[in-house]
Amino acid sequence: MKPKVAFFDFACCEGCQLQVANFGEELLDILEVVDVVNFREVMSENGEDYDIAIIEGSITNQHAVERIKKIREKAKIVIAYGACACTGGINAMKNNFEMPEIMHYVYKDDAKYFDTIPTKAVDQVVKVDYYVHGCPVYPKEFVDVLKCVLQGVEYKVPEKSVCTECKLNENECMFDKGLTCMGPITKAGCNSWCINNGNICFGCRGFVENPAKNAAIEVLKDHGLNPELIIKKINMYNTVLDEKLKKKGEE
Amino acid sequence: MQRYYVLNKNKLINFLSFIQSRSKLAAPVKKGEKSYAFEYITDLEKIALHYLPTILPVKKYFLPQRETLIEFNKKTRKTTHVIEFEELTLFGVHTCDLVGMQCLNAVMVEDPKDINYLERKNKLTVIAFECNSYCDEHATCGIMRTFIPSSGYDILFTEFDTYFLIHIGTTKGSEIVNESRLFDVAQKEHFDELNKLRKRKEEIFKPEINASYDELKKLMERACCTGAWEGIFDKCLSCGTCTNVCPTCYCFDINDDIDLNLLNGCRMRTWDSCQNEGFAKVAGGENFREERKNRQVHRYMRKFKYPVDKYNMYFCTGCGRCSRACVAKISLKETMNLLSERIKL
Ligand code: SF4
Ligand code: SF4
Ligand code: SF4
Ligand code: SF4
Ligand code: SF4
Repeated sequence: MKPKVAFFDFACCEGCQLQVANFGEELLDILEVVDVVNFREVMSENGEDYDIAIIEGSITNQHAVERIKKIREKAKIVIAYGACACTGGINAMKNNFEMPEIMHYVYKDDAKYFDTIPTKAVDQVVKVDYYVHGCPVYPKEFVDVLKCVLQGVEYKVPEKSVCTECKLNENECMFDKGLTCMGPITKAGCNSWCINNGNICFGCRGFVENPAKNAAIEVLKDHGLNPELIIKKINMYNTVLDEKLKKKGEE
Repeated sequence: MQRYYVLNKNKLINFLSFIQSRSKLAAPVKKGEKSYAFEYITDLEKIALHYLPTILPVKKYFLPQRETLIEFNKKTRKTTHVIEFEELTLFGVHTCDLVGMQCLNAVMVEDPKDINYLERKNKLTVIAFECNSYCDEHATCGIMRTFIPSSGYDILFTEFDTYFLIHIGTTKGSEIVNESRLFDVAQKEHFDELNKLRKRKEEIFKPEINASYDELKKLMERACCTGAWEGIFDKCLSCGTCTNVCPTCYCFDINDDIDLNLLNGCRMRTWDSCQNEGFAKVAGGENFREERKNRQVHRYMRKFKYPVDKYNMYFCTGCGRCSRACVAKISLKETMNLLSERIKL
């Protein structure tokens, strides 16, 4: 029996699900080994049975908290899929503001009609078994994760920086082009996707496990970036990870 | 065997075409303002004769960044040893990188021999190219004495105004030169020029570190577990670049990959680095080198102390790649000089 897979959306742009459509031929191979029973919001989470829940998006309100808990109860395996689900992603930038302030900024006088909470990564609400990082996810890594799920083994997110992959690909370093890059403190696993294609790394996969954050700020300053911009660059994908690191430090 | 020849500069293209008729050719090409890389060459015009040490050293041709070691089938339980190799000629290898190859050789021929590495090395022809002046300020090939060609090449090119002086290192090199019919036997005037050049080079390349060659090991031993490293690695991000670009680093990780049908798979080896967080982690989550600073000290010990004990060789070629590529601008030359100031030998 093929395991049944269901996709669920939370706060996100659905770009990661779109990646599935970009898989091309590999998608056919995937569909041979799993049964997709729920894609986008076509069915409700109470509908069909599923073994593997693939969660896209971050948790940003109380309704989502309840919904993800129900999914967790039902699923044997939960996969956080994409930056929003894995690390809160871009949505977590709002956590750097006071809630009333940011709500007013977005919704103006209608703010009172919206139920919103500080953005959470999925694993801040329920247990997550597998992570597919990235904004959007890197297709090959998703397939690698899926293989681990099917074999019932752990998937280890590489404990090294994007630079390690970038160097193996022998790209010209962005710093040598007079640009800056988040590669040195961002976790590998995307095969330095952006740099291979001529872009800097924005850090979408989030910090490496034990980031040298202060050193990175100094290094970026040395390369002429202004401190305010550096903090924004780091916060873009790391707000929740930063919260977690602080908590760990306090313990 | 005739050892010295001359190749007129306008015949270089013919020579390289001749090489291409025998095997694949790889040589340095320009990738960016300060970046070069060894690449397979089809268009000879692309070759950069004068270049800064390439992003990755030539080790990538005999210890590839990623390679398949074994293929297996889960059902039949059959495994097959895989070695991917080809006849390849490297043109333009700097003398510091020759030393890098010698360091790796010392490691790989030891038991258990690395068969994949050795097979690939066997298929390789190395044409070296001597530097007549410093590539840039990061190089420490003066103190490491690697600006002078030692051995490890089939053919060596030394550049003069209108010609290259050629030294033959092996029988294979001799065969190539003879078969190409492009070379003339070197005369006394050429040897005179060579002697002059080598003398001039002794004036240009000076020890870049305030210690003698022999003292470098002692410097490491004295510095090892002391505060002498204070402040030097504060900005290190543990990005792993300094080891990936180093011609003498060879650490790797091994992983299995399997098809989606969970039937056919392969065992892969990929470069790893002692700077990576997970490198010294063991079961239970204990990390032997949790602190970034300690990982850097380890790297220096792996260049200037441990290999001297084991192989009687420094595993630093002075190529400067680690310093050139470090986004935190941590320089090997400056580090060694700071240590020599702080440590009494
Ligand atoms: S381009 Fe970015 S990821 Fe690549 S080596 Fe440079 S800093 Fe690292
Ligand atoms: S290179 Fe950086 S921004 Fe691009 S996919 Fe990888 S982690 Fe994300
Ligand atoms: S290249 Fe520089 S920042 Fe990166 S690990 Fe090496 S010393 Fe540290
Ligand atoms: S330690 Fe640095 S200078 Fe020495 S061989 Fe390695 S990369 Fe080159
Ligand atoms: S380090 Fe020395 S031998 Fe190596 S490329 Fe630079 S000048 Fe040439």
